[in-house]
Amino acid sequence: MEQIQAAVSGALQGSLFALMALGLSLTWGFLRVINLAHFGIILLGAYLTIELAGPTGLGPLGSLLVTVPVLFVAGAVVHLVFDRFEVSELNSLLISYGLLIVIIQVVQNVWSADFQRLPGDINPYATQSVRIGDLIFPLPTVMAALFALVLVVAMKYFLDKTYAGRALQAFGQDREIASAFGIDHRMLGLLLAGASGATAAIAGMLFTLRGTVTPDSALEWVGLVFAIVILGGIGNVAGTLWAGLLVGAVSGLVAIVWTPATSPLVVFTLVVLALIFRPQGLFRRKAAH
Amino acid sequence: MRRDRGWILILSLLVVVLVLPFLRDAIGSQAFPGFYMVLAFQVLFWASQATSWNLLSGFGGYFSFGQGAFYGVGVYAMAVLTGRQDMTWWMATIIGGLLAMVLALIVGMVAFRLRSLRGEIFALLTLALPFILLAVARLSDAIDGGQGVIVPVPPVPSFLPTFQDFVFMAGGLIAVLALAVSYWMSRTRYGWALFAIHDDEDVAEAIGVPTFSHKMYAIALTGLLAGLSGAISAMQVGFVTPEGTFNLRVPVMVIVISVLGGRRHWAGPMVGALYVTLLQNRLQAGNLEGWSLIILGLVLAALVLLAPDGLMARFTRRPWTIALVSVLTPVLLVTTGLVPDLIWAIAIGLAVAAVIAFLPSRKEAGDPARSAKHHAAVDELDGEPVPVGDGVVMETVDVRKHFGGLKAVDGVSIQVKEGEILGLVGPNGSGKTTLVNLISGFFPPTSGTIEVGGVGTVGLSPHKIAHLGVARTYQIPRPFASLTVRDNVAVAIMFGREPKSLAAAREEAEQHLGFVGLSDRADALPGGVNLHERQLLEMARAMATKPKLLLLDEALAGLNPVEIDNAVQVVRRIHRSGVSIVLVEHLLRVVNQLATRIVVLDQGRVLASGPPAQVMTDPAVVNAYLGRSADAAG
Repeated sequence: MEQIQAAVSGALQGSLFALMALGLSLTWGFLRVINLAHFGIILLGAYLTIELAGPTGLGPLGSLLVTVPVLFVAGAVVHLVFDRFEVSELNSLLISYGLLIVIIQVVQNVWSADFQRLPGDINPYATQSVRIGDLIFPLPTVMAALFALVLVVAMKYFLDKTYAGRALQAFGQDREIASAFGIDHRMLGLLLAGASGATAAIAGMLFTLRGTVTPDSALEWVGLVFAIVILGGIGNVAGTLWAGLLVGAVSGLVAIVWTPATSPLVVFTLVVLALIFRPQGLFRRKAAH
Repeated sequence: MRRDRGWILILSLLVVVLVLPFLRDAIGSQAFPGFYMVLAFQVLFWASQATSWNLLSGFGGYFSFGQGAFYGVGVYAMAVLTGRQDMTWWMATIIGGLLAMVLALIVGMVAFRLRSLRGEIFALLTLALPFILLAVARLSDAIDGGQGVIVPVPPVPSFLPTFQDFVFMAGGLIAVLALAVSYWMSRTRYGWALFAIHDDEDVAEAIGVPTFSHKMYAIALTGLLAGLSGAISAMQVGFVTPEGTFNLRVPVMVIVISVLGGRRHWAGPMVGALYVTLLQNRLQAGNLEGWSLIILGLVLAALVLLAPDGLMARFTRRPWTIALVSVLTPVLLVTTGLVPDLIWAIAIGLAVAAVIAFLPSRKEAGDPARSAKHHAAVDELDGEPVPVGDGVVMETVDVRKHFGGLKAVDGVSIQVKEGEILGLVGPNGSGKTTLVNLISGFFPPTSGTIEVGGVGTVGLSPHKIAHLGVARTYQIPRPFASLTVRDNVAVAIMFGREPKSLAAAREEAEQHLGFVGLSDRADALPGGVNLHERQLLEMARAMATKPKLLLLDEALAGLNPVEIDNAVQVVRRIHRSGVSIVLVEHLLRVVNQLATRIVVLDQGRVLASGPPAQVMTDPAVVNAYLGRSADAAG
């Protein structure tokens, strides 16, 4: 029983990291940029939520009205730079690394390096929980799982069923051919990068519901989130969610069977094994070269 | 002359490292405050770390975010071994370096064996490395256990005045070692293998570079030097914690430093370390510490976008001006009393040097070597055509290559005899290029055997097959973009069957360039020559490996008629020098002209084989090939 509780709780927490991974995986898979600044944008999402939720009376969920559009623009602006200079994948990694450092330091200068959290009266979710049979889950993790599920389904629908989504898939596979067929990749690219910024806003908000945030939180997410992106398959939306749940469940189990500190070891061993045996991700049929 | 300049600089640094502590003692702390020594130590520490990182990541192009892990192993070796095991500081330093090297070798063993490995994936894997070690250090009470470890002050050797002098000297010696290794590599095959890997790893293998072992050498040296330098720095820090060690500070710094200083030059990281350390120091002095990372982050992003070559690439264009400016400016500022503070004066001097470096240079204005006339034309042929012999140069037996359900090559058995030019033709997708890739070992066949000179090559790495005498060119030329035309050829000579030094290889490269008619383009970069010249460069580079068999994969694609005639002459020349040739070609006019025998492939199988005149009139061939793509029959 204890194990089941730990695994399911872990999986729910993993869904929050899947949500963080979603935007990263999309821009990597379809726009061929590895955007480390995404973690900075999530961080901004978290701090803006704390800043706005109380004083404006919007509450954490209501503050999305502001953070989603603002960070949509932020995501699009970062991509504008990548697009303008036609940077390679590796260079996008370096440039966005620079931007990530800048964002973290700016956050630290503005909000200090100390822990920040939503005040209890603004964040009623933190103390509530959901009971299913003998299992108890904190409400924030359940909310994270629901948001992740809705966004993944929506994104999957967009990519598979809409013209713009299919155009993006075509562009991800072969830029030149797609451009030759008249796909306006600039506009679509900005849209997708913006959408990825919007998911970062939501992920940041959900992170503040669970507890405290510091400027260094952004760096703590990096390892786990990239593990999920790679395990899920780069650009594979549903795979990202599955990988998040899997990584979360494994971490949760390892944490009670051994100790919490061993879970990074297990997760990264998984990633290395996955890279050796299934480089295309865990959840995709083996593609022909 | 150039050869010695680097050693002179490194020896001068060694003298500074050995003399400065005594000089400081003689001058007295009034004129030479103690914190100058701390600052000098920091510059040399970051120079060591960045130079170490640069071996694999700058020279070799495999970006690592994991420098903090190698550094941290050194730090904890010093802390644990001297703090808890009472080991001497120098033993702990050596063990720290070796442990970091072992960790690096393990990372290399795993990462460089992955077939799917790309540079981006390597970067992300190394990003996880410090986090894993952080977990280990926190968990293990033998290492840390989460409390932090105090590093005891070692007994200072009696000949040195203070502890700070001792740490400076120890750290300085590591920096000298790191720079010497970097300089030595940049002059030898070890560095040039990495330059080739940086530009195009597949091609590096194909011309004979053992890429795996050279990546392992590089990552081992990166680990060793980072560990040594980390161990020394632990003595300076005094108290170490897992969180303070295995974080992203070291990776951030080494990346910014190396990108700023220049990743291709052995001294780039040293120059970058000087700039970044002084910048941080001056920001601290102005109480602007909170701006330091913001500036570094922006500098990194801007440099990658606008000046990825870094400072050193620009300094070397006018080294004397830069050296004079960066030394004279601070001297003048201090002696005239305009800026009495020495560190400010040095910082201003460096800033002026950087500004001068970015002024437009006259060299960039135009390229006088470029002229409208075709330089590439080769002279009339010399010697007689080589008769076809009986010896078999290369043989495939029932070779298959399946990609999933696609049978790209489906049971091909061909022989190439001495002195033959075998024309390999067939419609698009018939398996010609796949066959070339199989023979050169780019991927292994699904089944079947391939022999070169009687030696089975299935399972051998491409560089070993290259050493057996197989060379190839690519349909779309793939020169090493950052090497000159001459050095492209020289690399192939350095990694031939008999290893050669850089100087000898450069000399020999001239012959091969002359052979294809590229002598006057020797100093150009591949980006500055036209398609025809790039294809000739491919042939010169292939000939530099002294092949017995040359695989020409559509080496004439996209040329105009005059260029085609010239290329045909070059192919004849290669043939007459005693090299057998497999000629993959769409232009039937060329194949008919050159080939002694033709093999027609269709859907991965051999459709026909024989003399050109006979094969080209075979009804099956006409149907399968000419019938479908008559327009290609130029």
